Amino acid sequence: MEDLDEYDQQPMNEDMEPEEDEDADEEITQEDAWAVISAYFEEKGLVRQQLDSFDEFIQNTMQEIVDESADIEIRPESQHNPGHQSDFAETIYKISFGQIYLSKPMMTESDGETATLFPKAARLRNLTYSAPLYVDVTKRVIKKGHDGEEVTETQDFTKVFIGKVPIMLRSSYCTLYQNSEKDLTELGECPYDQGGYFIINGSEKVLIAQEKMSTNHVYVFKKRQPNKYAYVGEVRSMAESQNRPPSTMFVRMLSRTSAKGGSSGQYIRATLPYIRTEIPIIIVFRALGFVADKDILEHICYDFADTQMMELLRPSLEEAFVIQNQQVALDYIGKRGATVGVTKEKRIKYAKEILQKEMLPHVGVGEYCETKKAYYFGYIIHRLLLCALGRRAEDDRDHYGNKRLDLAGPLLGGLFRMLFRKLTRDVRSYVQKCVDNGKDVNLQFAIKAKTITSGLKYSLATGNWGQANAAGTRAGVSQVLNRLTYASTLSHLRRLNSPIGREGKLAKPRQLHNSQWGMMCPAETPEGQACGLVKNLALMVYITVGSAAYPILEFLEEWGTENFEEISPAVIPQATKIFVNGCWVGIHRDPDMLVKTLRRLRRRVDVNTEVGVVRDIRLKELRIYTDYGRCSRPLFIVEKQKLLIRKKDIHALQQRETPDEGGWHDLVSKGFIEYIDTEEEETTMISMTIHDLVQARINPEEAYSDTYTHCEIHPSLILGVCASIIPFPDHNQSPRNTYQSAMGKQAMGIYVTNYQFRMDTLAYVLYYPQKPLVTTRAMEHLHFRQLPAGIVNRFSSVHIGMRRKKMGTLVKEDFGRPDRSNTMGMRHGSYDKLDDDGLAPPGTRVSGEDVIIGKTTPIAQEEAQGQSARYTRRDHSISLRHSETGMVDQVLLTTNADGLRFVKVRVRSVRIPQIGDKFSSRHGQKGTVGMTYTQEDMPWTVEGITPDIIVNPHAIPSRMTIGQLIECIMGKVAAHMGKEGDATPFTDVTVDNISKALHKCGYQMRGFETMYNGHTGRRLPAMIFLGPTYYQRLKHMVDDKIHSRGRGPVQILTRQPAEGRSRDGGLRFGEMERDCMIAHGAAHFLKERLFDQSDAYRVHVCERCGLIAIANLKKNSFECRSCKNKTDIVQVHIPYACKLLFQELMSMAIAPRMLTKDIKQAKSQKKKGA
Amino acid sequence: METRYDDVHPYPYTSTQTQPFFSADSGLNLEMGKRKSRAKPPPKKRMDKLDTVFSCPFCNHGSSVECRIDMKNLIGEAVCGICQESFSMTITALTEPIDIYSEWIDECERVNTLEDDGA
Repeated sequence: MEDLDEYDQQPMNEDMEPEEDEDADEEITQEDAWAVISAYFEEKGLVRQQLDSFDEFIQNTMQEIVDESADIEIRPESQHNPGHQSDFAETIYKISFGQIYLSKPMMTESDGETATLFPKAARLRNLTYSAPLYVDVTKRVIKKGHDGEEVTETQDFTKVFIGKVPIMLRSSYCTLYQNSEKDLTELGECPYDQGGYFIINGSEKVLIAQEKMSTNHVYVFKKRQPNKYAYVGEVRSMAESQNRPPSTMFVRMLSRTSAKGGSSGQYIRATLPYIRTEIPIIIVFRALGFVADKDILEHICYDFADTQMMELLRPSLEEAFVIQNQQVALDYIGKRGATVGVTKEKRIKYAKEILQKEMLPHVGVGEYCETKKAYYFGYIIHRLLLCALGRRAEDDRDHYGNKRLDLAGPLLGGLFRMLFRKLTRDVRSYVQKCVDNGKDVNLQFAIKAKTITSGLKYSLATGNWGQANAAGTRAGVSQVLNRLTYASTLSHLRRLNSPIGREGKLAKPRQLHNSQWGMMCPAETPEGQACGLVKNLALMVYITVGSAAYPILEFLEEWGTENFEEISPAVIPQATKIFVNGCWVGIHRDPDMLVKTLRRLRRRVDVNTEVGVVRDIRLKELRIYTDYGRCSRPLFIVEKQKLLIRKKDIHALQQRETPDEGGWHDLVSKGFIEYIDTEEEETTMISMTIHDLVQARINPEEAYSDTYTHCEIHPSLILGVCASIIPFPDHNQSPRNTYQSAMGKQAMGIYVTNYQFRMDTLAYVLYYPQKPLVTTRAMEHLHFRQLPAGIVNRFSSVHIGMRRKKMGTLVKEDFGRPDRSNTMGMRHGSYDKLDDDGLAPPGTRVSGEDVIIGKTTPIAQEEAQGQSARYTRRDHSISLRHSETGMVDQVLLTTNADGLRFVKVRVRSVRIPQIGDKFSSRHGQKGTVGMTYTQEDMPWTVEGITPDIIVNPHAIPSRMTIGQLIECIMGKVAAHMGKEGDATPFTDVTVDNISKALHKCGYQMRGFETMYNGHTGRRLPAMIFLGPTYYQRLKHMVDDKIHSRGRGPVQILTRQPAEGRSRDGGLRFGEMERDCMIAHGAAHFLKERLFDQSDAYRVHVCERCGLIAIANLKKNSFECRSCKNKTDIVQVHIPYACKLLFQELMSMAIAPRMLTKDIKQAKSQKKKGA
Repeated sequence: METRYDDVHPYPYTSTQTQPFFSADSGLNLEMGKRKSRAKPPPKKRMDKLDTVFSCPFCNHGSSVECRIDMKNLIGEAVCGICQESFSMTITALTEPIDIYSEWIDECERVNTLEDDGA
């Protein structure tokens, strides 16, 4: 192992950098980078994106939403009251919402007692972990007298309860926030659990991040010909803090040959919201008040010397020649709006409003935005023309810089905004009603807290994002947190979904894009329909939560940005355009200085670290982003080919006493590390390793770059949670890593440390889990050592057991042992296991259909009328499924939110590995146990060691999982040296190194060993590759799957065998099996499968009419009433489903006649009849 | 949400859900006689087309006015098919029926206000 460690800790030799010999603060090593990574995880944990996003919602968004709601203003619709005259001419009621207050999560018992709620209680008692929200409300009554004087009465209601907000665990409002490990354990929590989810009705819910296209961004696409359009520019514009679907604007350039044929060239036209046709762009400019051709061209082309571009605009100018002033242009637009047949003034006013409020709302919706809008509109056309001229490639829809992620915060924000609006709407209608009826207004009654409470709960519980049964809701946003194994939980909390139709055949959105480097795990994605659409975050990703653009705008102003009022368009080609969140704010003549300053301030944290600064030199643009949902990741900053972080900083980091001082945030604020988002990444030069950087300094000629700006912290951090568990993933064929990423989620282990206090519906726990001998560095931060999921196969013993838990829940009172004498509908299972309280006590062995919870309900007298009088109660007991056995582990009797008693019973069963159980290595190599042998029957080595698992070597060549072989020999070395082997990808560890180390331990260097036959004791002719490999026990076990059926339950409707093991169903003999039998000509077998063993039935058919006759087998009488036939009746065997079909057809007035005689006979009869 | 014990069916059993061998939403419908499980989402709302028939300002018939556009002579005419009222104007390349009609409405408005003033 020393050899290996040497490679890891390889110091950057001083002799390599002679000029730095005297420099005391030497370059850090890759090993030191791990100290930085540890500091990151220590501070941030693994679900930071969830927590940050939720905290942003709680701390800012919620108050913003309340503030942005306009005051409710109510004027009474007074009834005419003859003979009665009011003292006031007018009374106005105004209600405004102010400061909000959020308490810690609380729970009010049914007896009215309120107490702090802890997650453990919420989980066990099926409660919702939510905190009450209060708001200050002001009511003003303005009374205007007849003589014009005003009287205002103000009434303040402080802290009015408006609903309960579910709280994310471990967020700043959670009761567990910043609790110590000890406190957490005492509260019955797992200290390794990172939170980031909600508890709704006792079940843990994760909000899956939703991917979307970024708004306020100009995209230009080339249309595939033949098409009416050649190029299309697209902007989805959405103003900040505007809860409206984005308003999309298209600017399209027609193809050279128009369909009509009469066109003179490539006109450019734009779509405007609510305008029913495309409007020529020049007319839009004229309507905005830019009439002269020169003015318009200046806003599009900037540089009149650019004849090519000017030429492209000529057809458009000619087209709009007939409209030469603003009024006519506005009228032209207004005529094409929603209103038809109104006067000119109204049309012009309508057009003006569309341009001001609906067109490109992110630029501005106020008055006098025309200049800004014209510039932005011109810019869209400019970009379109650049693409049309071939100067710039079309935009990439799949580039990750063009994507935004909606996390818990924005998702809840949208929901809360909608619900709060609904609440205010309800308040308005209530107050209106009160005022109209002359009643007193009581705000306590007006505000219905249920709107927000149940609205949020509904969406989180069902995953339907939006109002119940309303259009435009997304399903599956909230999911039940996967608790199979610790890694699967972590991975679930970092999952990401792209809401693109799964059926879409387009491969592009599913493919791994270059810009996903370091942001999305390249291996961890599901196979099949959702492949590439569901992604997982890489280990060190930060999703921005958004910050105000205002400080940036102020900074830009201060540092010499010129806005549109100050400049003439002629200077634009020389200057750099400045965009903030996609909105063009002005130009700057010294972008170099501006960018440097901005970056410097960001590295000093004077400007928020999550702000993205993108300088596009070719386009002469500086794009600054402060919005939420961008993916960014930390990188070492490099200046003059040297890292800014030095060895001494690492020492300081390692030697700090408390985790609070120094740490990650300190490294960021000292400017050693910065966050780079996907778009900014395109403007950087990142060295892959520190070693590359050093080499570039020593050997500038051979260096890849002499202008490095950043350095990766470690390349292995591109992987996600599940892929980080794979040893040597860089030696595997890539799909194998994807398979393992999926299988790692099914492995058993210890999923949380508090599993004894939990009552999960289903859980798997491994009795003696082992930590792997061969690990990756990242696994340290995934707490794999503390919460392992697997066993080292080779040294582990035979008895690997596990537990499995199962829960029965039941609401309502009346538990007790049901009595056969007075209880209706009792099961055939055994009621003997129940105690007097109606529950099976812990330690009871239960199996089959044993009843584990006894419960009865009284039968109401009216209901019982038809029944036998002796029954007073009905059985509602719960029994174990017939295939399950186990031991009652724990029984919980408690009350839920409504104060009703309910029970949860946990049943445990021990599963010793047996033939048919599924296992896998960590390399996508799964399999089931084929045979178990006693140790003495196994082959052994000279040392007397017998293997635990014998793997068929055919598993290797086609699957190319070399990583497994390397893991095996490294495991052997590690076991002998008593150390953990380092299998982190992209390091200098080589097979040769490991082999040499193994050789030093006294073994054959490639891991081969001579073995002896367990039965005969003879030496095996070949050497066997032997070593310890970490194996995962997967959740699929034969005992849960074993199933057979001879006869059994059938479906009511068709009388065909039921489906599924849980119903003791049959095994489907499907179409393909049927085809097979036809091909074999096995007609009788086919009939047996499809008829005799399925839904054989017999009916009696009248030979005259061919319809089903009445048969009374007891009296041996047969009759067809319609034919008055009692003799010509035959018995036929048909499937029950067939008989059913015939009867259904008959119900629809179709007569399916069964011709029972031979066709010949039938024909002859026909002749006779004729 | 939760697996319940009471979904064990009493005899005779009923099967509520059957899983198709090929899922229907894969776009393929390989199984005979099986209906698609879910209706396709409604087609995307296209932009409304511009009107070409209008209500007559004289007889008020809902869709009797049609427009003729004579590009050769640059004359556009709106005619009501019911009361035969008509209006014509000079047009340009960009003129569409809605322009002629709107112009007619404006003209009516102008004449009406003139009459009002006269009276």
